[in-house]
Amino acid sequence: MLSKLKINVAVEVSSRVNNLFCARFFLARTYLFVLLLVAGGATTVQADYANSQDFQLHGFISQGLIDVNGSDFVNDDGGLSAELTEIGLNASYQLTNKFRLAAQVVYLDGGNRYSQGARVDYALLDWSAFTNESWQANVYFGRFKNNHWLYSSSRDIPFARPSIILPQSVYFDGFRDIAVGSDGIAAKLSHSTDEYGNFDWQLSYGSSPISDEQTKNILSEYAQGTAEQDYDAQASIYWQPAFSPWRFGLSLLEAGFIYDQGGVGSGDVFFDSDFTFQFYTMNAIYEGEKWEFSGEIYQQRFTIDGFYFPAFQLDNMGQGFYLQSRYKLTQQLTLLARYEDFYLNKEDKDGKELQQITGGAIPYYFAFHKDITLGVNYDITSNFSMRMEYHWVKGAGRLTPVVVPNTIINNAEDWQMWAVQLMYWF
Amino acid sequence: MSAIEVITHPQVVERSLTKSQLRRIYTMRQLRWSDNHAITVFVLPSQDALHQRFAKERLQIFPYQLNRIWHKLTYSGLGVAPAVVKSEQELIQAVSNTPGAIGYISEATLIKLSQSYNNFSQGALNMDDGQKVSVKGVINVVKIKD
Repeated sequence: MLSKLKINVAVEVSSRVNNLFCARFFLARTYLFVLLLVAGGATTVQADYANSQDFQLHGFISQGLIDVNGSDFVNDDGGLSAELTEIGLNASYQLTNKFRLAAQVVYLDGGNRYSQGARVDYALLDWSAFTNESWQANVYFGRFKNNHWLYSSSRDIPFARPSIILPQSVYFDGFRDIAVGSDGIAAKLSHSTDEYGNFDWQLSYGSSPISDEQTKNILSEYAQGTAEQDYDAQASIYWQPAFSPWRFGLSLLEAGFIYDQGGVGSGDVFFDSDFTFQFYTMNAIYEGEKWEFSGEIYQQRFTIDGFYFPAFQLDNMGQGFYLQSRYKLTQQLTLLARYEDFYLNKEDKDGKELQQITGGAIPYYFAFHKDITLGVNYDITSNFSMRMEYHWVKGAGRLTPVVVPNTIINNAEDWQMWAVQLMYWF
Repeated sequence: MSAIEVITHPQVVERSLTKSQLRRIYTMRQLRWSDNHAITVFVLPSQDALHQRFAKERLQIFPYQLNRIWHKLTYSGLGVAPAVVKSEQELIQAVSNTPGAIGYISEATLIKLSQSYNNFSQGALNMDDGQKVSVKGVINVVKIKD
């Protein structure tokens, strides 16, 4: 009774805080918008080549409409939504021959997909440790972007990713703020030869801050404690044979998380716990004049030690892949088709065990996520594009909250969504 | 159809480049000239017909692939992408004003430019080692070898 009361109070307080936040975010969005217009204007007014010297300013703005039927992917009421806003502004400044500063601020609004608002996307010092005709070695200090997966560094850049909504099994929006980058150190080594082609090796080590809103998104809306990322270590290699339309990649990730209920008096229904996440991917991409094929195949291991009760243990191996094809009908018009198949536990692909263990509290379809996507992209000018797509989804395995799912709204195995988006960049 | 010429700032030491060097420079995998000066790369907008031809004919890479490489550098903080200028005229100006610069123009534009420069400076047109035209002191025309 007491804990219920506490939850009610907490919900009321958080909704008031949310209202306040909404107003602030709206203001922040307006500021950013004006800033962007001024910046865009400034770069066109000044002679453009001045932008090439030591200082560069770039940005993008995009707005879309999205309609989801049958899940809480974007909103809880299932109505048509304009919560598809992505705005970014970045600057790069060459300090010396060897050092460069770069930073980007983005404002994102994706409804339930991730927390709404502005964030520092990256802010780093780039040390060009070594460079010659065929080698480049760079070390990045600060907040850097995850550059290990096929689309991890461009997931927020509407025109640089293949679709409005990316394959959620890899680019899960619920994990976006944690997976998009880290605060720490990263290194990149590139090598080009005429005989063997291009090689890119990358290493990164760091961690991401986790807000209370994200904690609730990932774990449960009732989680009152704090979650923290302990570490995130990643490595990847990409190889493009000389003058080949193919490129191949491999990546490894290991991350550790800690959940702290904040003492016995916190009223939290969950317990102190450790989470680990490992993720291995292989990818390939073919870039032809008309046809493009790409795909990623991956395995993940997720462990929980605690959380539901102190002695609770979970060790799940999930697997998945997606295959994507794009066809350039004309120079401006590109068609997209993609199939994605993912399950959270390879021993329980159809989710029957999940439903049984939880006594029916979590239905079987929370064990997987399958998505068939068709889309079209039209490049109106060199800096202005429009995109449309439709998704047929089976399963609720990639919806938030993750650990304690919302089975009331997500009461069906099949759900669909469509989205349109306009994008401008400079 | 007019051929495409690769041009550099007059102080750039390289008088010729191989196809793969040019490709490395435009895909931002080679960032310095042989004398260690930084390379500044200029391009026309991605939908410009000359840019499309330059990518396919000179670099043997599709324009959308170049866009992807450059977008990734620009919007993920990893590096710096080429500077986009609106016209060939602007590109010539940018290359001639920026030490270490490289760009491309059509042969027709280059001939027009060298003629007007020629008239203006009374015969300063310089022909050397297989270069068709060079507007000495303004831009260099770089020979591309296989």
